[in-house]
Amino acid sequence: MKLTKDEVSHLAILARIKLTDEQINKMTDEVDSILEYVESIQKVDVTGVEPFAMPAKSQGFRADQAFDCDELTRELILENFPDRTGDLLTAPGVFLNPKS
Amino acid sequence: MIPNELTITQAIKELESGGLTSRQLTESCLQQIQSLDGALHAFLDVYKDEALEQADRSDMRREQGNILSPLDGIPIAIKDNIMVQNKRCTAGSKMLATYNSAYDATVVKKLKDAGAVILGKTNLDEFAMGGSTEHSAFGPTKNPRNPECVPGGSSGGSAVAVASNMCLAALGSDTGGSIRQPASFCGITGLKPTYGRVSRSGLIAMASSFDQIGPLAKSVEDTAIILSIIQGQDNADQTTANVEPFIANWENSIKGLRIGLSKKTWATGGIESQVREATEESLKLLESLGAELVDIDLPYVDEALAVYYILMPCEVSANLSRFDGIRFGARKQDLPLFETYAESRAENLGSEVKRRILIGTFSLSSGYIDAYYVHAKKVQTLIRQGYNEAFKSVDLIVTPTAPTTAFKFGTKLNDPLSMYLGDIFTVSVNVAGLPAISIPCNTNGGMPVGLQFMAPWFEEAKLLSVARFLQEKLN
Repeated sequence: MKLTKDEVSHLAILARIKLTDEQINKMTDEVDSILEYVESIQKVDVTGVEPFAMPAKSQGFRADQAFDCDELTRELILENFPDRTGDLLTAPGVFLNPKS
Repeated sequence: MIPNELTITQAIKELESGGLTSRQLTESCLQQIQSLDGALHAFLDVYKDEALEQADRSDMRREQGNILSPLDGIPIAIKDNIMVQNKRCTAGSKMLATYNSAYDATVVKKLKDAGAVILGKTNLDEFAMGGSTEHSAFGPTKNPRNPECVPGGSSGGSAVAVASNMCLAALGSDTGGSIRQPASFCGITGLKPTYGRVSRSGLIAMASSFDQIGPLAKSVEDTAIILSIIQGQDNADQTTANVEPFIANWENSIKGLRIGLSKKTWATGGIESQVREATEESLKLLESLGAELVDIDLPYVDEALAVYYILMPCEVSANLSRFDGIRFGARKQDLPLFETYAESRAENLGSEVKRRILIGTFSLSSGYIDAYYVHAKKVQTLIRQGYNEAFKSVDLIVTPTAPTTAFKFGTKLNDPLSMYLGDIFTVSVNVAGLPAISIPCNTNGGMPVGLQFMAPWFEEAKLLSVARFLQEKLN
């Protein structure tokens, strides 16, 4: 499976990673050689085989309830926020049209 | 006797008899870090003051007859993708260079409750992706046996810290071989428990259905002590299993033990002659000790690497989508939303990480998901069935841990695929979820070689018993 540079560009957009043209070229070559290798699984006959899945263990979902955390944990979580004024946390607006 | 050269088992005896204090043990490790780590770069952070405080508290507990566990007072290092509350956790990435852990990983909580001394955090390939620790954003770690060679990865820092006596043991994580392969390259013991044996809560996720935390140590017995402490079902990790805990059961004979060899594995081209010689010597020794080597047919073992390099990147692409610059980690400021994501990630994630995210994104994208992800999940079922079948006729399976010894820096950087091929003997273990251990075999003074044993699901007791028995005979 040889990917075109356009396809790799598209993947980069899906993955939300900006790549330069040079990086796209290099990545296309590298991903090509890796995909060529992993395509060996196509030879395996999987007729009638179920995809492996861990048996579900949890007894349903937990209640959609907020719970408290201790002050230290709360402070550590907030401390990591990249743009913060006290308890006000700033993030870019989500109102612009997303790139597809 | 230099305290940092002791195994945990030996240190426990010295602490019990009063021949040594935890303070002396910890100081000895810190001194070793001081002497060697400038050159080897195993550690990203060293908790000197806290470690000494923890050691002193351990000594006080011991004086009062109140020790918390066999690990009380033992200095341990932690791979830097495992969180210690209020301490930096970088995952070897620029993205998290200043991230401060909000909580303790469950395994860290267990170590603290056991009274262990936490020395600091060790270097790793970025987000645990790599087989050499060359992909750390903070510089590589060097192999103490030959500093021109890699220590293996991704738990390279942990392996070097143990191998060079900077700590008595370390925690690592293993998704495709990241505990076993560096243990093999550095000449120490590394254990990946059965998937579900140890909680992943607080481990920065790479591939959630393959990741396991496990010990790197100087002996099999030491790995058993650590596993006993860190194991257990955890409400914070729904993938932990409700099974009987591992309890060490040391047997002093392997007569009649059936050990499976997959012909395909040993016929693989690309096994370095030193690896072949050392591992074949060990097989002869096993036979002379009464084990029966059985040829087994492991179907799809060739495809296991391909299955892994499809499924793992898929999970990686999902798990790393949280690193978007919004709530934590590095954020490229003052950009609209899409650019905030795209440029924060572009600037702060390394090339290996980006490569795997893109491969995973591809394999999960519509039009390709059936042929790649779903097909790989079906082959995974066949691989697991293959192991299930094989274990009906053998007790354990043996392989070399890695096809080569530690290679020189830079050798594999231009060809990502060649780095992936180094995982050929380790990944099928993760794909199947089995427990596996790597122990060093004798190499006539050459670079270290590891021998890998794998056992059926949750049979760590048998796995470790045989590994310890062989290790004693090899020493």
